[in-house]
Amino acid sequence: MSDTPTRDDQDRTGMPDHGMPDHGGPSGPDHLLPDGGPVDQPSADTPARRYTDEQKYQVFNKEFMPHIDSMYNFAFRLTTDEDDANDLVQDTYLKAFRFISSFEQGTNAKAWLFRILKNSFINDYRKKSKEPAKVDYQDVETTYNSEDAESEHTVDLRAESVSDLIGDEVATALNSLPVDFRTVIILCDIEGFTYEEMAKILDIPIGTVRSRLHRARNLLKEKLRDYASSMGYNEESEE
Amino acid sequence: MQTSSSLSSSSSDSKPQMKEHCDHQVDCLKMIQLILDGEATDQQLARLKANLVSCQPCIQMYHLEQEVKELLTKRMEKKCCPEQLVATIKSKILTFS
Ligand SMILES: [Zn+2]
Repeated sequence: MSDTPTRDDQDRTGMPDHGMPDHGGPSGPDHLLPDGGPVDQPSADTPARRYTDEQKYQVFNKEFMPHIDSMYNFAFRLTTDEDDANDLVQDTYLKAFRFISSFEQGTNAKAWLFRILKNSFINDYRKKSKEPAKVDYQDVETTYNSEDAESEHTVDLRAESVSDLIGDEVATALNSLPVDFRTVIILCDIEGFTYEEMAKILDIPIGTVRSRLHRARNLLKEKLRDYASSMGYNEESEE
Repeated sequence: MQTSSSLSSSSSDSKPQMKEHCDHQVDCLKMIQLILDGEATDQQLARLKANLVSCQPCIQMYHLEQEVKELLTKRMEKKCCPEQLVATIKSKILTFS
């Protein structure tokens, strides 16, 4: 690991251009960056690994590839389109390989990969998405991020009212949420990431993870309630 | 109701007064979510346990949050990566070095 050329030679081999991908570079996700801080300098604070080519393929196959189904599911839930999910996963894995020297073996590969995918999605896909992003991250933040009582409430709904919903109906409800609310629910409930991991994947403080989840779930419950009542699943039929 | 019986079974005889109204519902809901996400402290866990035998709204919120989490984890289809894409990625990285 010590006899390879310079970091630059290694990092940039095969890169089409010199620049890091816009916010897509997997700078060590183990380092919790301040909100809105630069996230595109993979080796600024993480010492680059000096992997040999053989080691690169080994890391890629043993640490990255096992997460490909989760990554694909995440990509599909973000884009809600199979072709876009394909492109997004492929781009992410190629980026991951390109920047593999900033990944430290034995650390949380899944979170590292999810972070790259999320950044690629924001930078590359939301822009050229067929249906222009329904809600912009920024808009969502300013609309929902205030700690006012309006956004903090409980949804009047009984567990029994939604217990008959099928997977597709749940997916439709989830898909109707603004993308960053959808994201926290996917990461937490479907992928089982901890709040700390989510904070690193999303580059936001843990407190924001917590409050965004709370709001996301309220929105989801409202959608589920609408769905359940339009489908005729209601409390009357349960009693 | 059937849903609360399992949680409050130990108290069926003495029947502590069950609150029909929760004064801090939003805070209780946040706590419930922390607990279901595995992010709560022991103190919060103890507080919820107490609420689950004495506060009707908390019991209902607990069941609802649990149900919604289950809908997401157990009912929604998990998409698997197409074999073709796996093959494409593997062949593309071979041309990198
Ligand atoms: Zn309560």
